[in-house]
Amino acid sequence: MERSHELINLFGYRVSWAQLAWFGHRASGLGVLLFLFLHIVETSTVLFGPEVYDFTQTFYANLPAKVGEVLLMAALVYHSLNGLRVIVMDFWPSTTIYYRPLTYGVIAATTIAMVPLGLIILTPYLPWG
Amino acid sequence: MTTSTNRRPRTIYSNPSRAARPEPEASGRERFWWIFMRLSGLALVFLALGHMFIMHVLVVLTGDQIDFAFVQSRWGTPFWRIYDLLLLVLAFMHGVNGTRIVISDYVAHRTARSLIIGVLLFISAAWLILGIAIIALFDPSAS
Repeated sequence: MERSHELINLFGYRVSWAQLAWFGHRASGLGVLLFLFLHIVETSTVLFGPEVYDFTQTFYANLPAKVGEVLLMAALVYHSLNGLRVIVMDFWPSTTIYYRPLTYGVIAATTIAMVPLGLIILTPYLPWG
Repeated sequence: MTTSTNRRPRTIYSNPSRAARPEPEASGRERFWWIFMRLSGLALVFLALGHMFIMHVLVVLTGDQIDFAFVQSRWGTPFWRIYDLLLLVLAFMHGVNGTRIVISDYVAHRTARSLIIGVLLFISAAWLILGIAIIALFDPSAS
């Protein structure tokens, strides 16, 4: 039974951080796999020579694509950190009592890491960059 | 408390890690994949994040850009070819197995589940072969 202070209100649904961490892990994982499928097709153009490949790469050189790139990186960073948390708790079950601070830590670390990383990727494509 | 008859519990409360599946008790295929997800995940933390960092952060900071010449210089060395091959195979197996588990959680109908997972595996196998072929067939001396 979850205690009330573990729950947050999300669009009218009362969900726990554990549920959010679990949903985020699945959503980010599926998102990264979807991009991997696209990435393989896009990279296959390298077999058709420089003109074709360099043309394909221009699809990434715009702001919407760069925003997608930042989202992809955020998904990967979150999935990595949360995955490490799962591994730690699976192999050292005694750490499970720290699941809440560790989950907060994963979300905080992802957010903090994405600020400089996002700025590096986006700045050249921003109107003032 | 009622005992769950589901083969894979959907509630996170039954799982001490509170983010993934509990370790399957019976040794066998499901236990193999449970361990595989954790070991490949650990390797992918370095492989995938390393790849992203080099391609999307270092390339920007050094003023380089990803084009044909860039791929030539990277895949001209065996190290990066093996790195990318390892990343491709592990990421694909990790991702497709994860998708299989998600599908199993939401599709209760046995036949429908087998069918959807069958389609997933067929498409994924074709895609993985294409990916391996790209890394294997690319000729760095071509221009």
